[in-house]
Amino acid sequence: MNYRLIVRLLGAILLLEALTMLPSLVIALIYGDGDAMALLLSMVITAAAALPMQLLFRPEEKNLRAREGFVIVALAWVALSAFGALPFVFSGVLSNYVDALFETVSGFTTTGSTVLQVFEGQPHGIMFWRSFTHWIGGMGVLVLTLALLAQMIGRASHLMRAESPGPEFSKILPKTGNTAKTLYLIYGALTVVEFVLLIAAGLSPYDAAIHAMGTAGTGGFSNYGASVGELNNPSVEIIVTIFMIIFSINFALFYRTLTGHLRESLRSEELHWFLAIFVIAAAAITFIILPQYGSFGTALRHGCFQVATVMSTTGYATADFNLWPEAAKMILFLLMFVGACAGSTAGGIKVVRIALLIKQGLREVLRTIQPRRVSVVRFEGRGVEQSMLSQITVFFFVYIALVLVGAFLLSLFGPYGFETNFTAALTCVSNVGPGFGAVGPMGNFAGYGTMGKITLILLMLAGRLEIFPILVLFHPATWKRSS
Amino acid sequence: MRILVVGDGKVGHTIAEQLTREKHDVVIIDQDDEVLNKCEDTLDVICVRGNGANAKVLLDAQADRADILIATTASDETNMLCGLIAKRLGTKYIIARIRDPEYNDSLTLLQRELGIDMALNPERATALEISRLLRFPFASNIESFAKGRVEMVEFRAQEHDVVVGHALKDLARMRGLPQVLYAVIERDDRVIIPTGDFIIQAGDRVHVAGEMVTITAYFQYLGKNSLRVRRVMLLGGGRISYYLAKMLVPMGIRVNMIEINERKATLLSEMLPDVKMIYGDGTDQELLDQEGLRDMDAFVTLSDRDEENLMTGLFAVRQGVPKVIVKNNRVAYAGIINSLGLDSVVSPKSITCANILRYVRGRVNSEGTKVERLYRLMDGKAEALEFIARPGDPYIGIPLKDLRTRPGALVAVIVRKKQVIVPFGNDHIEAGNSVVILTRDSGITDLNEVIRR
Repeated sequence: MNYRLIVRLLGAILLLEALTMLPSLVIALIYGDGDAMALLLSMVITAAAALPMQLLFRPEEKNLRAREGFVIVALAWVALSAFGALPFVFSGVLSNYVDALFETVSGFTTTGSTVLQVFEGQPHGIMFWRSFTHWIGGMGVLVLTLALLAQMIGRASHLMRAESPGPEFSKILPKTGNTAKTLYLIYGALTVVEFVLLIAAGLSPYDAAIHAMGTAGTGGFSNYGASVGELNNPSVEIIVTIFMIIFSINFALFYRTLTGHLRESLRSEELHWFLAIFVIAAAAITFIILPQYGSFGTALRHGCFQVATVMSTTGYATADFNLWPEAAKMILFLLMFVGACAGSTAGGIKVVRIALLIKQGLREVLRTIQPRRVSVVRFEGRGVEQSMLSQITVFFFVYIALVLVGAFLLSLFGPYGFETNFTAALTCVSNVGPGFGAVGPMGNFAGYGTMGKITLILLMLAGRLEIFPILVLFHPATWKRSS
Repeated sequence: MRILVVGDGKVGHTIAEQLTREKHDVVIIDQDDEVLNKCEDTLDVICVRGNGANAKVLLDAQADRADILIATTASDETNMLCGLIAKRLGTKYIIARIRDPEYNDSLTLLQRELGIDMALNPERATALEISRLLRFPFASNIESFAKGRVEMVEFRAQEHDVVVGHALKDLARMRGLPQVLYAVIERDDRVIIPTGDFIIQAGDRVHVAGEMVTITAYFQYLGKNSLRVRRVMLLGGGRISYYLAKMLVPMGIRVNMIEINERKATLLSEMLPDVKMIYGDGTDQELLDQEGLRDMDAFVTLSDRDEENLMTGLFAVRQGVPKVIVKNNRVAYAGIINSLGLDSVVSPKSITCANILRYVRGRVNSEGTKVERLYRLMDGKAEALEFIARPGDPYIGIPLKDLRTRPGALVAVIVRKKQVIVPFGNDHIEAGNSVVILTRDSGITDLNEVIRR
């Protein structure tokens, strides 16, 4: 294990975090809610911790190995959250450190679950920082680091592989650094477009920025207690719905479209699966909730919004789906597992994996009927290797196991019943945000005690990094010398 | 630049590695998953699985937007087809490895019809390199700069050489000794860019630079140029031997070739009527003795096995053959071989890579980078870079002694119109001059990084 390189990189990442607090500081100074000192202090402390790591550790070997990539990614996320929580503590918005850490992890992992109970009158700078963590965490902190500092690290693709969501990481450009830059460029441009549209729809620039960042990272923090619903603006709801879908799509497709291969992008099999699931689920829910709302238009709007918010794992809400018929709730519950496309900013198991699991299941049935039948699972027009299939099966198992273990721990530590505990664990692993019961779209996670919150923090981190980097961190073999 | 490398073999991999180091965007196409996985882990490239001669695979690798495609698969036909298709798809330049002598005769036609900009024949290129070494047997290595006007020649200093034991600044005053630049010295695996106080010791590998005429005169003065190769013995009747014999015979050199396979020997004898073919085991010392190894001016070992080449080469050195050239493809052996006293080692793999890289750099240059040419010396321990001085740069017209030079770097040669200058403190650079810089650092891209006011 190349400890010097790890420490030095962590230093660089924390230094970058200190910089990312700058926009929030500016906002704090503009609004003058008295939170500027808290942000400034957090910046100084973060930078002061990072500088010695950066300056004192000079690695002899610049090349990363695969396991160091995993370790760095996992540690970076832990460190970022630890320091990112400081503004909440210093400003007094969340004076309990575990609460602050929960909020920060929920922000960086783009979960959007909150322990905040009062939204009115919170300082603007801190609330901006809360949403800004969504934006940074959505595309990835390591990706941002690579976009800016690719020269520092040899074999940097290990880092991106460990952080990018999806079973297979493919670069869009030969250079890892350029890939990271291009991804952030597309990401930033799309965010700005949404920001402008939201202003055009009548939001204040501050509200527009908060919700644009929340959508882009597929996070779900709002500065209102009743989320997007409180804005009471149908055109905003439609814009947010569309952008939640856009940010659920693999960014490689946007790149290909921009380089003039639109037709090729539209042929993406994962996109077809994603859209098919979306349309079927939205149609079904619209039909089920129609009696409750009376008008088809309203039912369609709420149906689409809620399906988009759960599939994209954003977690905004325009309606309290806790009050919906059980069938509609069941559909949303299932969608919480699915998530969106690989290579997007969304969480969940990912549509590719679900599609491949279904195809594998069908093949197994076929094999039972015709034992000598040879059939290859195909995806995106190519045969998928067996090693990839078994990897996905294992991932699925570990994912479910994690949710179950999480739900069990929550029932140990928490005051709630089965529905709340199970969906709380699921929504955190899938980085969605709201669950059902007490943690529904109009509720929050404040009711869990310290141990419950720590459990949820670990679940969110494991979910965002697709489990294995966090497991690697806890496995003793990682820290042993290789023989 | 965007460069596609088809076939991740020894040569393909080495080139991809070097090109990523030079900041190019590299895409590797290969059919073997395992090879690609390893590639993805160690190099900053995109890997595409598939047959490089398949248009769909090439499009996957975005051949339509590529600047250069380098085809180095094991099959000549695949390489040609791959080049042909990529060119049609829109790749700007095609480099293909075509090594079969059958194709060699119609190479110009093939190149034109297939749109291949550079056809590379590793065996022919190696033969060319060997023939150069045989023409200047005093050198263990030759590199040309500034369109061939400047040569850098490597030789091993020996006990009785007049240059041994003197500081370089005293050599500059030595009467009768033609003045050359002592560019780089290799001593015990260290690479030294010498200053005036440096004293050459016996055993040093000295690299001197200058015009060919001066260099030739220099070696004549040292008494090293008395040798002219008139008789040469080649071990092994492979493709390199075939090309080499075809080059040497017109130069008036008598060629003896030993081949272990009788049929092959007969065939070669048919194709090369002026060569004395010997059928037998070239590693058999008895046979070598019988065939007059001791009377040879030079001995070249070109069998397929590196170890055989080394051992037989060593035997020839012990027998007193003045010039022994050994073929060796394993880079890892290079250090050992040098310490054994075999100075001239050729590696078809390195030569192929060097040629391809030279071509790529030429293209890069025409697209706006400042390095005209880059040579890696001594397995990359030092680099020689060639720049064109641009008008308006701050160093123009100022004597070198008044400029600050980057440590570990040296302004080796200035070429002004037809004139080749080995610069001293009072010389200066004019706009438009070619300037050759020697350095131990890699990654220099601009002359301004080397010399400043």
